[in-house]
Order: sequence, then structure tokens, then C-alpha cells
Amino acid sequence: MNDALFIEIGSAQQQKYGEDCFGDTIYSKKIPEERRIISILSDGLGSGVKANILSSMTTRMAMKFVESNMELMHSSEVMMDALPVCQIRKISYATFSVVDTQLDGKTRIFEMDNPPFMLIRDDKALNVRYREIYSERWKDRTINISQVTNLEEDRIILMSDGVTQAGLGNRLYPLGWQRQGCLDFVLEKIRKNPTISASDLAQAIVQEALNKEVEKKAGDDISCVVLYFRKPRKLLVLTGPPFDEKRDAEFAELVSSYDGKTAVCGGTTANIIERELCLKCEVDKTSFDEHIPMCSTMEGVDLVTEGILTLTDVYRMLKEGIDPDKNNGATRLAKLLLDSDKIDFVVGTKINIAHQDPNLPMELEIRRNIVKKIVRILQDKYLKEITTRYI
Amino acid sequence: MANKVKVRICVGTSCFVMGAAQIQSLEFNAPADIADHIEIVEERCMSLCKDIKRKYRNGPFVFVNDELVEEATYEKVVGKIREQLKKS
Repeated sequence: MNDALFIEIGSAQQQKYGEDCFGDTIYSKKIPEERRIISILSDGLGSGVKANILSSMTTRMAMKFVESNMELMHSSEVMMDALPVCQIRKISYATFSVVDTQLDGKTRIFEMDNPPFMLIRDDKALNVRYREIYSERWKDRTINISQVTNLEEDRIILMSDGVTQAGLGNRLYPLGWQRQGCLDFVLEKIRKNPTISASDLAQAIVQEALNKEVEKKAGDDISCVVLYFRKPRKLLVLTGPPFDEKRDAEFAELVSSYDGKTAVCGGTTANIIERELCLKCEVDKTSFDEHIPMCSTMEGVDLVTEGILTLTDVYRMLKEGIDPDKNNGATRLAKLLLDSDKIDFVVGTKINIAHQDPNLPMELEIRRNIVKKIVRILQDKYLKEITTRYI
Repeated sequence: MANKVKVRICVGTSCFVMGAAQIQSLEFNAPADIADHIEIVEERCMSLCKDIKRKYRNGPFVFVNDELVEEATYEKVVGKIREQLKKS
């Protein structure tokens, strides 16, 4: 059963007030051949550019070492040797938390100086026992190692001390929010919404930490990573009419036989599905937007949007972040994509002659190209499992 | 009052980029004399663009009642609506 386990990784960050860049770094990587995912959070000493460099170096080095299964103590010594020593405090410093997890559920966690990770199972936080190891050369550094076997619906949460110390000095939270405060918040969130996605939860934690701060100005870099172990959520995206009209029926059949959510992108595509499956499809006026054509609603299909313009805008948002206050076809599709784990694209390759008119804006790309770009960014940046089929 | 004039706007990709979005704004800010006498319906691609060159000119395509307006603009459509209203 564990074979079917999927890990959703979501993270959120807020830089220290007044700084331009993050002092913490989050780096996650999927190694498909080994069915393994590694996620690292590092907090660099101080804030701003210096901290950013320290923490980026740490995450990159740690990733290389963990990936190649190098001996842990030795690799952390190498890392500490490599990091520049702080002029003021005389320590080479960046903390890290590493989660190295395999899809059959075996997970190892290494932590140095970050607040201890949280493991949430059945709405409760589990206390995980850990082993401490020390370095000969760097006496004051200890690394905690823990190992857990993850089950479905587990969540692992990593955070930087910006979260636990949020609100430090605020009259309500003289010692900061504390790990316990954060834990209570997380449990409450999960109780209210048991299937909350990893990215939503990470976002909520960072936002809440920020709310605790004096005048909502972050006193330190605040970062959080959530790993959510669960059954994969599947999504089928149909876009474009099949090259050969004779395959329209087979194409539409894919929608009715799919065991997951479905989205149809393209006016003509929607017309084909409507015709072949005898479904009623109506334009949804609540999705009006000046730049993106409206969505439609169709029974049995979760989302119906226009094609190329929507996909182009989805690609832009996947790169730059989803526009927060819009509710047009593109934001709906982008959210749907991010909420899914396994996405199957079926791309019809018929070319719409009208789109090749040189008078039309340049953004009108060939469908295959824009889908390819979306697939790549979903795989690389969001670690989704994707299949693409051309018809 | 006579029946409302039905305005069907194609909001398929090419019509949309060629200006159907402006025509859609009829829904919110139509001229006062026609505002109460029109019914706006957006349609997904009406597939007329596939027959450009052979049958039709360019989009955006808009039907005012059953009359097709090609290369439609806001003004053209408003004009056509007034024409239809006069008829009825």
C-alpha cells in the first residue's frame, strides 16, 4: 500500500523586515530512480545577503552529501569547515534540517540547531526519539538524528527559529510564539481542515508567525516546510482537439473514465466533449476578466477554460506566483494544478488556423510548446509527477 | 416592451484577443438607451474562425439576434443593436 504514497512538499518564507533577500534557504529535490525525496531547510547566521549565502551554501552542500549517502558526521564537518567564520561571533554558522525520505515511508531526519521538527499523525504530534552525535572538531555542535516510518496522512514540519521566536519582545509573547504555540496552531488548522495541502499549511504558519510580530514586521527570517504524505490526487488535463476527428469519441471517453479530477482547456476541446458525451456546458460569468476568457461549467468536469491564453497565463503564474485576488480561468487552473500530485496531460495536436494569423498577438503559442513549458516547471519546481500524451 | 435583443459573443481565443473582451463590457456599461434591452451571452469558440478566407472575414464574431457581425467592435455591435431595436 505504501507504494501509492505520495509526498507533497509545500514551503513558505518571509524575509526579515527591511531585508531584500531571504536569510533562510529551502531546497527540495526528487530522485525518481531511488523513489526518494530530500528536503533541506537552512538558516544562515544573521540576515540579508550574508545569511542567504551561508544558508544557500549549506543547503547545496548538504544536498550533495545526503544524495550520495556520505557519512553524516564527516559531511557536516566538511560543511562547517567550508563555511566562512563570522567575524563577530567567531563561529561558522548555518543551521540545517534535512528530511531524507523514501516513498516506501522510511524517513531519516538530521537536524542541527534548528527548532525540532514536528511529526503529526492522527491529529496528534508524536515525540520522536533521536540520537545525538558530536563532532570532534566542532565541540559545540550536535546533530540530532531520528528515523521514522511514515504512514499515510502523516505530516512533517520543519521551521526556522524565526517561527518559534516570532513575537519575541511583544507584550503578549515575551518569549516568542514558541514551538508549542506553533504546534497548537498547526493541530487546530488540521482539525478544521484535515486535508489541508502542504503549501496552504506552510503559508498559514508563516502568516500566523508574522501576525505575532510587533507591527507585523518580521524580526528574523521566517521559513517553514511541510511534507505531507498521502494518496496522490490525480488530475487529467485535456487540451486541444485530436489531430484526427475520428478519435474525438475516444478523446472524450478519457474524461468519463478518469478516476480523479478533470480539466478541459480550450473552447473547441470543450465543444467536442460536450458533443460526444452529451453534456451541457455553460459559460460561467463569475470568472469574467479583461485579459482571460471566461470559464464554463460542465457536469462531471471540474474546470472548463479557454485554451492558449489561459495556459500562457498559467505558465506565467507558475513562474511568478499566483495572482492572489483574481478568480479567472487561469488562476483556477493554476490552483487546480498545484493542488494535484499526479497530472496527466492529453494534448490534441490539431492546429487552429485562425491562431496563425500574423495580426494576432505573439503570445499565441503553439499548444504543444506551452504545454511542454508548463510540464517542465511543474516537474522541476513543484515536483509533480506528470505524463503527457499527444493525440 | 419588445423582446430583448440577444447578443451572442464568441469568446474563443482568437476572437478574444482581437477585441471580444471590449464587447463583453456591454454587460456592465452599455449605453443607457439599450442597456435594458439586451441579453448578453458569451459562447465558447463558435468555430467560425476555422472558415476564415472561405466564408467569413476576421473575428471577433458576434451575433446580434441572428445577424452576424464580423470584425466586430463595441461601436459596430451597439449600432447593430440599435438597428434591431428599431425594427422591433
